[in-house]
Amino acid sequence: MSRGEAYGYAVARIRAMESLLFDAARYQRLLDADGIVGAIKIIGETNYARGLTDDETAEQYDSALEAELLATFKEFQAFVPDRALIDIFRLPYDFHNVKALLKGWFNAKTGGKRRWEILTPLGSISIDDLTVRIESEEYSLLPYGLSQILPACVSAWEQTRDIVEVERLLDEGLFSAMITLASSLGEPRVLGWVRARIDSENIRNLLRLRRFGFDAAAAAPFLHGGGTIDPMTLLSLLPEPYDAWGRMLAYFDIGAAVSSVQDDGSFDNLIVSLEKALDDYCQSRLANARYSQNSPENVLAYLWGKEMEVKNIRTILVSKGTESDRDEVRRLMRHGY
Amino acid sequence: MENIIETMAEQLGAALVILGAALSVGFAGSGSAWGIGIANEAAAGIMTEDPKKFGYALVLLALPGTQGIYGLLVAFIAMSKAGLLGAGGVTVTIWQGLAIGCACLPIAIAGFYTAIWQGKSSAASILLISKRPDQIGKAVILPAMCETYAVFALLMSIMMLTGIKV
Repeated sequence: MSRGEAYGYAVARIRAMESLLFDAARYQRLLDADGIVGAIKIIGETNYARGLTDDETAEQYDSALEAELLATFKEFQAFVPDRALIDIFRLPYDFHNVKALLKGWFNAKTGGKRRWEILTPLGSISIDDLTVRIESEEYSLLPYGLSQILPACVSAWEQTRDIVEVERLLDEGLFSAMITLASSLGEPRVLGWVRARIDSENIRNLLRLRRFGFDAAAAAPFLHGGGTIDPMTLLSLLPEPYDAWGRMLAYFDIGAAVSSVQDDGSFDNLIVSLEKALDDYCQSRLANARYSQNSPENVLAYLWGKEMEVKNIRTILVSKGTESDRDEVRRLMRHGY
Repeated sequence: MENIIETMAEQLGAALVILGAALSVGFAGSGSAWGIGIANEAAAGIMTEDPKKFGYALVLLALPGTQGIYGLLVAFIAMSKAGLLGAGGVTVTIWQGLAIGCACLPIAIAGFYTAIWQGKSSAASILLISKRPDQIGKAVILPAMCETYAVFALLMSIMMLTGIKV
């Protein structure tokens, strides 16, 4: 059976699942809800109810969102022909867990505390397995190139005590593993989306690095290879004002997303707006998949849409706690699926 | 030797008729099965999430099945024309048998391909009704466009068979 035929069932099921995603009306209800309790009540009417408990408090809603995302990943694993498509989404959580465990391990060596609570079950490697392997320094059986990356991280830490360098090595490994997974599928459009995601991450990093006053030489190691834009081209943006970035990237697909954000002089506003524009750009790259009844990109589109939905719900719930302006919250929300 | 050649000549006409009938049933039927299979995948997908859509899906996944019926119909007409269905056999010449066999080809070929493409269209329409069940009317019309060409092929096969003098 060809890949196209194998996805006939999966795409149809995804189409049927789309009706369960939050639409504009439901977001509006959530925005209009009376405080966080009212918002959680509305969430309780949806699929997210399976992660909510009776004594739900404002602090616990995050676990409900996490539980729903995990349930979605597991459900997709049961019917999507290529598991690698789901692993592309679970990889960042694996690498987040590795970072958390390594930092905890380093902290413990210097008398500090471990922070188990920041570990997430959303990764594809079980937390217990990962913990045992990292604590016992038995990396050889770890997937996604971690067997090579982890000894390099430990070595970097022992030589320099530089946690930023450890994080950089892990981020490099994450995007390299993503490219490897996407390449293994032999689907150019899936690979193209992963490359677009790397471009987004590089531009986000570049803006942060510019804020911290990094020059091109210092910033170069923090840009990841594998994107559609060469890191050298991106580094040439560093000395330029942000408003010139869109023009300089006009020849790339991502240029329009960068141009759509204006610098009003506040870095916080700029990074938040840019992150939204880049997330929407990643979503837009998958828009054409909706016209196909058997394209694997539909899996990416749904899972990305689900992640954005969780992000939007989290934004709204946090805003309820902080009593933020409703229009401001709406401005931060990602485009729905 | 002459007897063998004579016997072959007598039976070759009937063999060609049987070949044509077999092709029309075989190809059109295979195409239908293939098309229904494609539509079935989509139907199973939406019914996993929403079993209430079975009624809508059934209409759409039955559409590619018509080509198989057309093939069967043409095969019956061809065999009947050659007298292969009745008790009293009618001998057809080689040329008559060849003509009947060729008359079966339009529905065999067009039936095969239109059924597959209709199955793909039906699958797309099933995706449509998964989100917009109120659009079932339009969803049925889209794959029915492929049906037009199967009907043309059926008509041509029947007209050809009717025109052959036995």
